[in-house]
Amino acid sequence: MTVTRARTPAMTGRPRPRLRWGNLMDTFASLLVVVFVLLPIFWLTLTAFKGQRDAFSLRLFFEPTLANFRTIFSDTYRAGDMLVDSLVVSSITILITLPVAIVAAYAFSRFRFRGSDLLLVWVLATQFLPPVVVLLPFYNLFRRPFGWLPESWLDVSFFDNLSRFTLLDTYAALIILNLSFTLPYAIWLLKGFVDALPGELEEAAYVDGSTTFGVLRHITFPLILPGIIVSAAFAFISTWNEFIFALVVGGQRVTTVQVGLNLMNSATGVIWGQMSAVGVLIMVPLIALSFLIRRHFVSGITSGAVK
Amino acid sequence: MVALAPPGEETLIHSRRTLFWLLTPAVALLLLTTTYPLVYALANSFRYWVLSRPGQERWVGFENYTRAFGDSDFLNSLLVSVNYTALAVVFAVSLGLGIALLLQKASRLHTFVKVLLIFPFAVSPALKGFSFRFMLDSHSGVFDAIADVIVRSVGWVLTLGGLVHYPAFQIGGLEAGRLTLLPALKFPVTADTIWLADGFWALFWMAMSEVWGWAPLFALMFLGALGSIDTDIFNAARIDGATSGRIFWHITLPLLRPVILIVTLLKIISSLRMFDQVVTMTGGGPGRATETINHLIYQVGFGRGLDMGYASAMAYILVVALSLFAFLYVRVLFRRA
Repeated sequence: MTVTRARTPAMTGRPRPRLRWGNLMDTFASLLVVVFVLLPIFWLTLTAFKGQRDAFSLRLFFEPTLANFRTIFSDTYRAGDMLVDSLVVSSITILITLPVAIVAAYAFSRFRFRGSDLLLVWVLATQFLPPVVVLLPFYNLFRRPFGWLPESWLDVSFFDNLSRFTLLDTYAALIILNLSFTLPYAIWLLKGFVDALPGELEEAAYVDGSTTFGVLRHITFPLILPGIIVSAAFAFISTWNEFIFALVVGGQRVTTVQVGLNLMNSATGVIWGQMSAVGVLIMVPLIALSFLIRRHFVSGITSGAVK
Repeated sequence: MVALAPPGEETLIHSRRTLFWLLTPAVALLLLTTTYPLVYALANSFRYWVLSRPGQERWVGFENYTRAFGDSDFLNSLLVSVNYTALAVVFAVSLGLGIALLLQKASRLHTFVKVLLIFPFAVSPALKGFSFRFMLDSHSGVFDAIADVIVRSVGWVLTLGGLVHYPAFQIGGLEAGRLTLLPALKFPVTADTIWLADGFWALFWMAMSEVWGWAPLFALMFLGALGSIDTDIFNAARIDGATSGRIFWHITLPLLRPVILIVTLLKIISSLRMFDQVVTMTGGGPGRATETINHLIYQVGFGRGLDMGYASAMAYILVVALSLFAFLYVRVLFRRA
């Protein structure tokens, strides 16, 4: 697009005006990209700090206020509880995902067995299921005790007595659902990191009589620690951003930040100031994390970790 | 015994039992969280099962499927999803490519812009929807204000160049903070367009909210691929007198083709799963203009009727379409690895 002709010293006596015009266009286009990328974030952040009266104005200069944040942390909206719910769901999901994914990634990377490719395809492909397909059966499973048994097998009165034993609106339900998409890409990401390790160190340890788990713990684990951190970051981001599971399964007792955001969408219209304030709460940890994993974005996208 | 094949040539011997214990937790969890619902939903798709009508469950064969293909809501949602996917994929990939080509040349400004490219990643899909809805607001939307400034500046520049008389631009009535374009320009926007109240524009902007998030990430991917290309190729082509256009068509694009394929497949898959912004941006409206398949299934299964059987059947039709792309994608990924 902006590739200018090569000008070796011999070709250009002095810079020609055309080159400067090209540079100007280049700068202009780059600034346009900056505006394109930052505008929604900038506007949202600005609105979060605007008072009631300024929220609907286009003014760039106004008296900043924390009123929106005070409102969302008050007893009406309880943004604090939402943050806790989101953090609990994300962290437990990560704590289950990582150990399971590490050992599986090691197996996929170091073992060849009949059907290993097929199994890996299955692992990778399952995350592309539409979330509603996962949700429909699990909703019924969580809704009542013995949800895995057909309704007609059990006496209806039996359910009436047990109806309070539902998994709907619990951390456990959301964590199980989140595992359906964090595990596949964590395995794939970590497999890439194990693949990149030379096998010699492990072989030496095996020769010295170490067990597989010993090797995993003392050699592989420390060496793929960066990969583990990257996978944890991606798992945090995708569970933090997860919306449909939290919307259907949660909402009363367990309300994640994303569903909390949707609460600002009332019958009388969206409360923009408060919505923006929740939006800022959602963005802050993610901006910090995305700088941490900057260099691994490409593998994150191809593995399906970025939603 | 299973032979270990590490990257090196040597093979070591591991017991089958070790392999079993390494894989069992992952396989068990994935069986539970993905394969179990897949099988259960398939079974449900052949049943009449409405939660609000207990006691009437029964097997109905393919009835739910035949119902879907005669249901105008479902056919509409198919069309919406296809249109949306086309918009999102074309814009995200081409814009990503454009940004990558722009930033390809090393400069201090470009390095700074590249760092900024990861920012949209920090905005969750649900938040993208709200944020764009706010910016498109008909009273205080920042988009209209910006478009207004652009139209005014263009008018000013044209007047300056003596091409038109500036007041001509006021025929459309340019008011502050409001986008009002000349009807004579035949721009598809008229003075009173409320973006999200118009079927086409609602779908368009919903796609754009997704493009905004993905194009910069794709640009990063393309930049990574461009960085691995030896610059000697470009230099040689230029010395041979190739124009920038020809270099792009005959060198850059073919070299980027594998990445473009991956990115396109990935975007198709994610677009067919579109749900979050439908809820936070349009609610499926106006009318049913932005009701994607996922949103319809959600409405049928959890919203209005709690019709599990019918929702499962529609979900399965989507699974079939998606698994085609998913397997293409996994194959491409495997060939690369």
